Formats: sequence, C-alpha cells, structure tokens
Amino acid sequence: MPRRDLTINGKRHRVDVADDMPLLWLLRDVLGLTGTKYGCGAGQCGACVVLEDGAAVRACLVTVGEAAGKSYTTIEGLSADGSHPIQRAWLEEDVAQCGYCQPGMMLELAALLSRPAAPSAADVDRALSDHVCRCGSYPRIRRAALRAARSGGGR
Amino acid sequence: VSAAITRRAFVQVMAAAGGGLALGVRTAGARGAAAPGFHPSVWLGIDRQGTIVARVGKSEMGQGVRTSLPMILAEELDADLASVTIEQASPGPGFDALGTGGSGSLMRSWDALRQAGAAARQMLVAAAAQRLGVAAGALETDAGFVRHPPSGRRLSYGELAADAARQPVPERPALKPRASFRLIGRPVKRLDGPDLVTGRARFGLDVRPRGLLRALVARPPRLGAKLVSFDAAAAKRVRGVRRVIEIPSGVAVVADDTWAALKGREALRLVWSDSPHASFDSDEHLRGLEEAVARPGITIRKDGAGRAALAGAARRLEAVYLYPFGAHASVEPVSCTALVERRRCTIWSPSQTPNAVQRLATELLGLPASAVKVHVTLLGGGFGRRLGVDFDREALEVARRVAGTPVQLVWSREDDMRHGYFQAASAHRLAAGIDAAGRVVAWEHRKASTPHNARRVPTDEEKRSPDSVRGWAWGVYDSPYHVPAAEMSYAVVDAPVPIGPWRSVFSPSSVFAREGFVDEIAVATGKDPLRLRLELLGAGDPSVPAIYTIDGEKIDRARLRRVLETVAEKAGWGTPPRPGTARGLACNVFHTETYIAYVVEVALRRGAGAADLPFSVERVVCAMDCGLVVNPAGVAQQVESGVLWSLSNMKSAITVRSGAIVEGTYQEFPVAMIHETPAVIETHLVDSGDERPHGIGEPVVCPLAPAVASALSRLTGKRVRRLPVRAADLA
Repeated sequence: MPRRDLTINGKRHRVDVADDMPLLWLLRDVLGLTGTKYGCGAGQCGACVVLEDGAAVRACLVTVGEAAGKSYTTIEGLSADGSHPIQRAWLEEDVAQCGYCQPGMMLELAALLSRPAAPSAADVDRALSDHVCRCGSYPRIRRAALRAARSGGGR
Repeated sequence: VSAAITRRAFVQVMAAAGGGLALGVRTAGARGAAAPGFHPSVWLGIDRQGTIVARVGKSEMGQGVRTSLPMILAEELDADLASVTIEQASPGPGFDALGTGGSGSLMRSWDALRQAGAAARQMLVAAAAQRLGVAAGALETDAGFVRHPPSGRRLSYGELAADAARQPVPERPALKPRASFRLIGRPVKRLDGPDLVTGRARFGLDVRPRGLLRALVARPPRLGAKLVSFDAAAAKRVRGVRRVIEIPSGVAVVADDTWAALKGREALRLVWSDSPHASFDSDEHLRGLEEAVARPGITIRKDGAGRAALAGAARRLEAVYLYPFGAHASVEPVSCTALVERRRCTIWSPSQTPNAVQRLATELLGLPASAVKVHVTLLGGGFGRRLGVDFDREALEVARRVAGTPVQLVWSREDDMRHGYFQAASAHRLAAGIDAAGRVVAWEHRKASTPHNARRVPTDEEKRSPDSVRGWAWGVYDSPYHVPAAEMSYAVVDAPVPIGPWRSVFSPSSVFAREGFVDEIAVATGKDPLRLRLELLGAGDPSVPAIYTIDGEKIDRARLRRVLETVAEKAGWGTPPRPGTARGLACNVFHTETYIAYVVEVALRRGAGAADLPFSVERVVCAMDCGLVVNPAGVAQQVESGVLWSLSNMKSAITVRSGAIVEGTYQEFPVAMIHETPAVIETHLVDSGDERPHGIGEPVVCPLAPAVASALSRLTGKRVRRLPVRAADLA
C-alpha cells in the first residue's frame, strides 16, 4: 500500500490509506474536510462534487489511487470567508434551505463559470441536471448561478 | 393545535455566567418537568458585550427556524438581529418537549420568545431609568440600545445587562401591537447562510469527536426476515475493520472509516430467514386498497343525509384515485453518533425528537436522564423521517459494545431509501351527486390506507374508532366545501411496510384526490373550476355557513375564497393560456389553519427522458393565508420547496416486490431536478389580520399536484388519477 501525494485546497498531503478508498472518504474521514458531502456514493446526487485540476468530479467516484498527484478544491477552498462570487451570489439569492447539497452545487458551477463563455440559463440547468436538492432550492440556484456569472464567476 | 396551550407563559431571572442578564421562560402548557424548581422551556441570555443568545429546541432542517425564531426575539427586545444567536437546546428539565414537526415551530415558539424579549426589554429599560435618573416612560429602545431622546444619552444592552438582572421581572410584559413591528413581516435572508456556503455547517454526519469509529449495519433484505447466521471472517480481514457485532436490527461492522465499514459490510456472509411477507407486492396492495374503497369504511364525517343522498341525485359522478408508497429521500442519509462511557452517554443526533432519543438511551443503558446528553446537529433534510429513533437505537446498540469510543452509525443511500419508514399508499373513491341545475348536492369520499405503524401498531379498537381513524384522514374529513349531504369514511388496510410521518403526513393523497375530483365535476358540469370552488365555499349563498367547525377548530370559508380570488387574479385566470399550455387550479386548508391555492401553467414535454416528468410546469402562482407572517423570505422559500416536493411526488414511487423494497437509489426513486423546475414560482400572501403565525412547510405541498393534474387533463383529455405520472398516461 503505497503512500500517495495529493494537493487539497493548495496544501500537499501525503496519505496512507487503501488505494481503492474514494476521495470522498479520504476528505471526510481522514482529512476532516466535512464540507464535501455524502449523499449516494454512486455519482447520482452530486453532493460530493469537488474540483480536480479545475474540472468538476464526484469525489465518490475517484479513488485515492487515481487522485494521486492531482490537485483538488473543496468547498473549504472555494473561500473560507464566503467571498467567492458564487458564495456571495448564494447569500444574495438566499439559496440554501437545509444546505446539505449546496457545496456540490457550488463547485459544479465553479467549474462551469471558469469557462470563457458566460453560461445561459440552459447551460446552468444542464450542468446541474444530475444534482439532487430534496428541499427544492433549484429556482434560487438558477438565479444565483446567473448572478455569479454576471459578476465574473471567479474566472 | 390549540394556541391556548402555549399562550400563558411566565418568566424568571436565571443565573448568568459572567454577570449578564439571563431569563427563563416557561410556557404554562409545557409538560411538567420531573425535577423540582423552575425549568424554563426557552432561555435568553444577554452578556456584558451585548451578545444575545436564545436557547431554543427547534431543529433546523431547512425550514429556516434559525432565522425566524431570532426575528421574533429581536422584535420584542428591540435588538439588532445580527447580535442574536441561537443555541440548540439539549433535552433536560424544562427542555422536555423539543420536537420539531407538524409545521409548528413558529406557532409553538411564538409566545415564549415574545415574552422573553418583552420582559428583558422592560428590565433593561428599568435599569437604564435608574442609571440615568429619569422616568422609564421617557426612554426608548432601538437596535440594542436604551435611549433618552431629551438628553441624547444612550446605554447599550450589554452595559445594562448586569443591572437589569436585579430588576423585578414583569409579571405580564407588554407585548408590541402588530402595527409596531419593525422586523416581523419584513424579508430577512437566512442568518446561517455564511456557514452553509463555506462548508462550516455541521450536519449529523459531520460530527467528529476524537477517536471516532464508523459503523454500518447489514439489515434483512426482505420485510420481517431474521438473521439466521453470519460469518464475519472475511469482513474482519478488511483493513480498518475493528469489530463485527450482532445487534437487534442486523449485523454491524465497526471500522476506522466509512469506506472500511462499507467494504467490511459487503464482505459479510449472511444467512437470513424467509420473509413472512415474501408474497407482499405493492401493486397487489394497491388493488387491495382499491377493493377496500368499493365499500364504505368507518364514517368520520356525515353532513345531512350523507351518502344516501347520492341515490336521489339527477346525475352521479364517480372516480378512484391511487397514490403510491413514498420515501423521504433526504440527501443526508440518517445517522447518529454516540459515546457510551461508564455511567454516562453523549449522543449527537440529527433528530427531530431529541427527548425521545434521550429516553431511549436511558432505557437501553439504564442511565438516569441527567447522565444522557443529546446534542442536536443540523439536519440535512428532515421531512418527518427524523421523528424516528431507529437510527439512534442502532448507534446506541453499537456504542455500548465499544464503550469509551465514539461511534458514528452511518446509513448508506440504499439503507436510507429501503429501511426507513414510508408514506402509506392509499386509494380514494369519490362520488358526487349533481342536481338538474348542475349543483353538487351529494358528496362522498372514501379513503383506504395504512396508519403509522413504525413506532407503534394501532390496536384493532383504534382502527375501528372514528376518533382515531379521523386523525389518519387529513384532507378527507376536513374538506372545506359545503355540500348539503356529505359522507367521508376511512378503511384501514394493513401492510407489512413500516409507515411513519412524511411531509404533510396524511394529506397529499387526500388533497390530490379531492381536488382532482372537484375539477372532474367542473368539467362534467361545464363550470369554471374557480367558480365551482367559490360556489362550494358559499360565495353568494348566505345559506352556506361561513365557518365550518370540526373538533373545536374552525375553517373560515371566506378566507379560502379570498385566497382563491387572489390566486386567480394574479395568475390571469380566465384569460386564454399561452399556446401549448393549460392552466390548473387547486386549493386546501391545512389543519384548519393555513389557507392555500395554486394556479399552474403546464405544457407537455415530448421526448422527455424516461426518468423525467413527461410534462413541464412553466409557471406557478401561489396565494396563501398563513396568518401573521414572520419572515416573508422564508415563506417564499417554503413555497418553492413545496412545489418541488409535490412534483417529486408526481415522479417517483416506492414499490415492493416479494417483500423487498425495490428502490434504493436516486436513479430508482428519481426526485424532481433543476431542469424540471418551473421558470416562475410566485408567492402572494393574503393578510386576514390574524394575530398569530401558522404552519407553512407542509401546507405548501398538498394542492400543487392536483393543480398540475387538472392542467394535464385540459391539455390531453386524460385524467391523471394515479401517481406517479408516466408518459403513457398522457398519450
């Protein structure tokens, strides 16, 4: 069982866990970064989305073996003080209800908004079409996404 | 819910750490604490820095109590809302009725929080009057300060807190009249928003005491099956697995991390007995429910001649509606973290019922209540699921076997979907008698379903008693409509499926059937659905009683009429719908308290994915009279939430085959998604001058689905009488 190096929120970690452990559990149970949420473990709910070298991935589907050498951003790394344009848009649109699914939603949008072209409403729906929010905060997620896009979205 | 229970309250000064002011409020209706002395059910503290802490016992699960409850306190206290923080109460003397459910958080906290704020404000003013040597009547309060306008002097609440604690407690603190509210009624964004967008918020699964182990439980694959034997050898070889323990509900694998526990559970070799319910199938069960409504059940309401009047009517309409089993499917699966030590126990639970968790621990571990501390975490969705303590029980069963080490009992998505308790399937048979002039002169609504059985199975006597049966027939017996002859009945059909509370509890299916059938009457009699409803509510007919009284609670038909008129006006009811769309309308009075109506605009969605709704709801207009509105921003959030919840009810179902729950994932139980979200959801609040707030979180669910079904019938000519809706139903 080799030690693996990976970067989380700009910090390098050397970890010694089973290679088949999903990144989700490394983050939550080993590194204590609980902002990345468990909702299904099968890539169906989107609660565990993180950025892998800038692209949105589901942390439950990436093993530590695959993650070695790569760089990840979790909700804790988006900004700790809520100053990222997506976080600000989230607060301005008063999006969260229970709030559990929101980190995954926000990181999916961070990936979308990092692209050069500003997304349309349909782009936002497509990007989030396999993210589950059981509280039904979708109308505000749409608005927050477009608001964040207007403000530059963190590009 | 009787408001009178909570209305009387009394206030006492409590010991305050650091010399500030602390007040306890005990509502007269709260259950008596066993311990002697004064034990408040709400606790308010103001420290020397002016920080205001309210300790309350409502669980936050997305309904916004951590915003709306501080608003009530800050209003009466004239405090800056930003200076108020909420501390989650743990069960204990005084905090003996902490449950969160029934859409009752605001109505049940309203009086105590106002009393606490008003009493503290009065004592702060008295302290300032002494300090400044002026009459209390010359002082004003605002944003955390007592001001003396003639001199321009002001003192902060923090400066006054210690002196205020020595003032006499007002016996009847003067509450603000509604017209003086500055904060209540204004939209306020979620105060806990920053924690939720930064990942700081701690839900049940985020509890991390030092040395935490994780546990998963292998449970019977079929209803009622029992463990015969198991072989843990392979499981124990998984790296990180510490223990394999048999507990009453199955076999628990305890490990260093969740992944090891999941792998260990997969490696278990388990032998289960046959299921005593191996022949149970949900489709057959639905047929049984349909058979049950072929006959009248236990009569729970009879007006005039009842069902007998159907026979004499010029024309008769009948329809049967079917509603499936449903799951809560919160994105955060249930969990509980427990640490059992010698002579004490600490529990962290995302619970809607922390007192029951504490009681459970005292019973299981033989500890006094004072030795059991229950911390309530944030809940990643509640919807009634966390009124159960089954997951807390499992955590305690495991934690007692690894005493001295905290254990987090984790349910996987599949565990949460298949082993929870469910919304009961139901059948409804409605009949109406129409006279020669097209008036509804007779009404019958029969419901067959299964009452809650997850925590306690009702006795045969209860299943026959109209009083208990009525409590399972919300939306049936409390129909707001006036029909001269009406009869409502309910038949219990047992099922081996665990049934428990769910958002809106017994209402969604009843309101879906009732409102859909009203629309069928409108079509059959050529009447406009709005006009028909207004007629059934007595518009222009003084012979119809304005108030319908049931079980001492009143339904005010004029309030529902106003809500209907408002929604119709805002939605442009009566104007031609846009090409390719149709409108639908439905309304309800939830628990005799909250009056609500929806108008929806719906289009068909051709070529929708198999998992997607075969239609799209493009616009939703809601009008609601929920009494006094504390936070309109929170109400709008809840309306949106109710719309999406109800669309999910039109999309997904739990089925049972050979005694096993089929659906275990979001692919199999697909809830509504962002691309199915209406482009417009408007909320219009109707103010009847009601002095009290009423529930919102559940009322917003019920009338949406029947409004959509009515629009679909306009679009396609097909009447949706069975959920979920499939593309084939509309073809």
